[in-house]
Amino acid sequence: MPPIKLDETSEWKGILVFVEQEEGCIAEVSFELLTAARELSHKRGSVQVGAVVVGHEIKGLAQDLLAYGADRVFLADHPSLQKYLALPYTRLICDLVLREKPEIFLLPATSLGADLAARLAARLKTGLSAHCTQLDINGRGELTQVVPAFGGKVMATILCPAHRPQMATIRPGVFRRGERGEGQGTVEGLPVEIEPGDLKQRVLEVHWEKKPAQTIEEADVVVAGGAGVGNPEDWKWVQELANALHGAVGGTRPPLDEGWISEEQMIGQSGKTVRPKLYIGVGISGVIQHVVGIQDAKVIIAINNDPNAAIFQSADLGAVADFRKIVPLLIEELGKKSNAG
Amino acid sequence: MDFQLSPQLELLRKSVREFAEGAITPKVQHMEETDEVPWDLYKEMAKQMYLGILIPKEFGGTGLGNLARMIMLEEIGRVSAAMAMATQIFHMGTASIADFGNDAQKKKYLPLLARGERLGTIAVTEATGGSDPTGIQTTAKLQGDSYVLNGRKCFITHGHVADTITIMAKTGEGPKGFSAFIVEKSFPGFKLGRKERKFGLHGCNTGEIVMENCVVPKENLLGNEGDGLKVSMATISEVGRAGMAGCGLGVINACLEASVKFANQRMLGGKSISQHQAIQWQISDMYMDLEASRLLAYRASWMRDQKMRCDTDMAMAKYYATEAAVRCAKKAVDVHGGYGYMMEYAVQRYYRDSEILIASAGTSEIQRIVMARKALTSFK
Amino acid sequence: MNIMVCVKPAPDPKRWDSIQLDPVTKALRREGIPSVLGPLDKRALEEGLRLKEKHGGKVAAMAMAPPSARDNLVEALAMGADEAYLLSDRAFAGSDTWATSLVLSRGIQKAGKFDLVICGEWSLDGSTGHVGAQLAEFLEIPNVGRVVAVEIVEGESLRARSMVELGDRILDTSLPALITVTRETNTPRFTSLLGVIEAETKPCVSWSAADLGIRPEEVGFRGSPTQTGDIFMPEMKRKAEMLRGEPEGMITEILHKIRQAIG
Repeated sequence: MPPIKLDETSEWKGILVFVEQEEGCIAEVSFELLTAARELSHKRGSVQVGAVVVGHEIKGLAQDLLAYGADRVFLADHPSLQKYLALPYTRLICDLVLREKPEIFLLPATSLGADLAARLAARLKTGLSAHCTQLDINGRGELTQVVPAFGGKVMATILCPAHRPQMATIRPGVFRRGERGEGQGTVEGLPVEIEPGDLKQRVLEVHWEKKPAQTIEEADVVVAGGAGVGNPEDWKWVQELANALHGAVGGTRPPLDEGWISEEQMIGQSGKTVRPKLYIGVGISGVIQHVVGIQDAKVIIAINNDPNAAIFQSADLGAVADFRKIVPLLIEELGKKSNAG
Repeated sequence: MDFQLSPQLELLRKSVREFAEGAITPKVQHMEETDEVPWDLYKEMAKQMYLGILIPKEFGGTGLGNLARMIMLEEIGRVSAAMAMATQIFHMGTASIADFGNDAQKKKYLPLLARGERLGTIAVTEATGGSDPTGIQTTAKLQGDSYVLNGRKCFITHGHVADTITIMAKTGEGPKGFSAFIVEKSFPGFKLGRKERKFGLHGCNTGEIVMENCVVPKENLLGNEGDGLKVSMATISEVGRAGMAGCGLGVINACLEASVKFANQRMLGGKSISQHQAIQWQISDMYMDLEASRLLAYRASWMRDQKMRCDTDMAMAKYYATEAAVRCAKKAVDVHGGYGYMMEYAVQRYYRDSEILIASAGTSEIQRIVMARKALTSFK
Repeated sequence: MNIMVCVKPAPDPKRWDSIQLDPVTKALRREGIPSVLGPLDKRALEEGLRLKEKHGGKVAAMAMAPPSARDNLVEALAMGADEAYLLSDRAFAGSDTWATSLVLSRGIQKAGKFDLVICGEWSLDGSTGHVGAQLAEFLEIPNVGRVVAVEIVEGESLRARSMVELGDRILDTSLPALITVTRETNTPRFTSLLGVIEAETKPCVSWSAADLGIRPEEVGFRGSPTQTGDIFMPEMKRKAEMLRGEPEGMITEILHKIRQAIG
């Protein structure tokens, strides 16, 4: 693949978004990326936003993509492409990129999205930034991409000045799905020919069931309860919320004393330190002895009906509410999500 | 004079630390609560080749030597003084045979001890003699092809765990009236006596062993008849003292780390207590004790590796490091304030564990006598 | 089978609070912080060692890193790797994932024929998670990411269970191939004293850009498609958005936050 020369960058226009879908269900993050693309498009003089989908029996997805921000939808539809495979997906999308020459190409920072993005960027010899938390256009018309490093201790702005497209992967939840529009735009079916090289891999099985974490230190999600939970019957809400999130249950000293958790689950200065992606504290007041055990969690959500609870000082999001009302609703919504795929 | 540790020793430290944190730390609480011997940890250490560090390669050990051993004990002791004591006593059980055994004895026992298929210890102390080993009363009488031993040894670390025990017994009168024997617990007449309950070092077995007409084959005499004091004193005064220093270093490390962590978190008057001078002085005293203990312990170990005479240097290292461990443990508890007294914080364990280091492998007073003896002749 | 494990020595996370940002040069100052093998590097090595124990062959370890990272490669040898390769050159400094993957691919090609390349899912510091797939692209081999279990089938292909957000996939992939491993893949073995001793006798080779036939302008700050602009260390205090009112009204916000955390 010959490298793109510097003076050719101006030929590249428009924004392309990779749409992640499984079994005909578009991942929420894809809609979020369309929102990001629209915002960037305004800043670049309203350039076209394209969305590319690869899979099988995906024609029906085009309308939603147009409604949520795409001007053009590209579909590569073939039975062999029903499940994500790095090699054919990379080849087909690479061909599209070289044809359409988008200036900016956004993909989701998910397991499959990042895998695809990485191979594509290598093949296209262009820059790719990982799990961006902010995107913008600077004075020179370049895409500025803010990414975390050193576990988030350091934030860096990444630029891709001399190569195109400027590629970035974005985490789910950084942008939000926009308002549904009328859905005007074009839909183009891409020609697909399967090559022998595409068949070096086969997907045998796909499972939706995620194994629960072994220990609270290993878990990506920890739901912890405190004295505010009040009684063992209500403790079940802590357990069920953890189950709904495929996470582990933790707690503070009072639940340990009551026997609702074991020593292994106690979080705090004299107990465990946890660093999950998500920590939810239910009925926890937030004394320093407990908080030192959770301060490296990526996201902390606290639910407590005392608005003055100390835990809110240490949380990213605080809900002043009775957990007995909130948690059942959360569990219900989470259940809906996984059923929809 | 190069004060840097070689890359291999740094790698050894790293590996042992990972093992200590990964395999030993999860078992510490259980050991504290039940005082049960962690057999699976011993197996795991054997697999990692920790037991044969003083055994030459030709006999199945790693032969890495005394400085490597000191670093190993420091890293294990940082996580569990009980495990450090167990490890160091395994080494003592191998050392008397490696240093004083004949070829046949070395070939027979060392490979098994290196692999952990047999576990060793040394037994000198009795009710009538500890600091003064010549006060022991266990006898060994030659009868035909065997020695018959009668007596009781007390406060023996791993008395109930070891298979192969170096035992000192009286074969005559006077300073040359002692001999050392390799005794296997399967020999007829060998019995386990009482198991001691200590206020620290939980999970490290201490027990009484009893010999009632215990039959020991002649071939198991270590060295010659009359060498008993030499064999046991050499082992205790070098390998034993170093072992205690290593345990002490581990405890000091742990005390310093716990105190720094707590002092940085604990708030008083709007700032962490680590910003108050009074606490800073406690911390700096512990730091001083750590570095001074290390220098003495590493130097003495290095000397033994160079085959230099080092009994006084070992005495100095042992005396300093173990007294420092007790000092630092008290400081650590004090830095923690009320929390230091509570069982859920580790510093109470360091406080309880450290005290026995002073009395073991020669009390502090014995070490000072050894040091005085040397000073009085060297500084004339 | 011949297995190549790529590792990335990075500053010890326990000392990350000592990392300083130079306000003038905007460079990160990390002097005095030793580099370590990350937990995923160890899992990559462990998986390689297990496969070697089962199928025979050898395990090599490779890193593109400054000269001081030699110690980390010796650690890999002590753990059980048979040979180690350090790709080190001033010209590599400032390489982004594209340039890094290029360098590693040249290193692997120079080191010999390998049936399997194993990397950690992401590195301790940059944690982009991209090098595995990009390296596979340069080597022109298929890759499977986030592998928690792998079996070799008749020496010709591998069967792997690969994690995705809501579950996992089982794939067959022909060899040679590249896999990346996660925290769940295995529990790395401890390094025994024998390993420490043997590490000294195993080869650890160092190659420069010239040795790999790489021109300085292809890699490093100059050759990397991405450039780092502004660096800042964000205020670590959390924002504490507060939700008040009816519980029903809070659900959407909470779910959005949950998705931000776990995708």
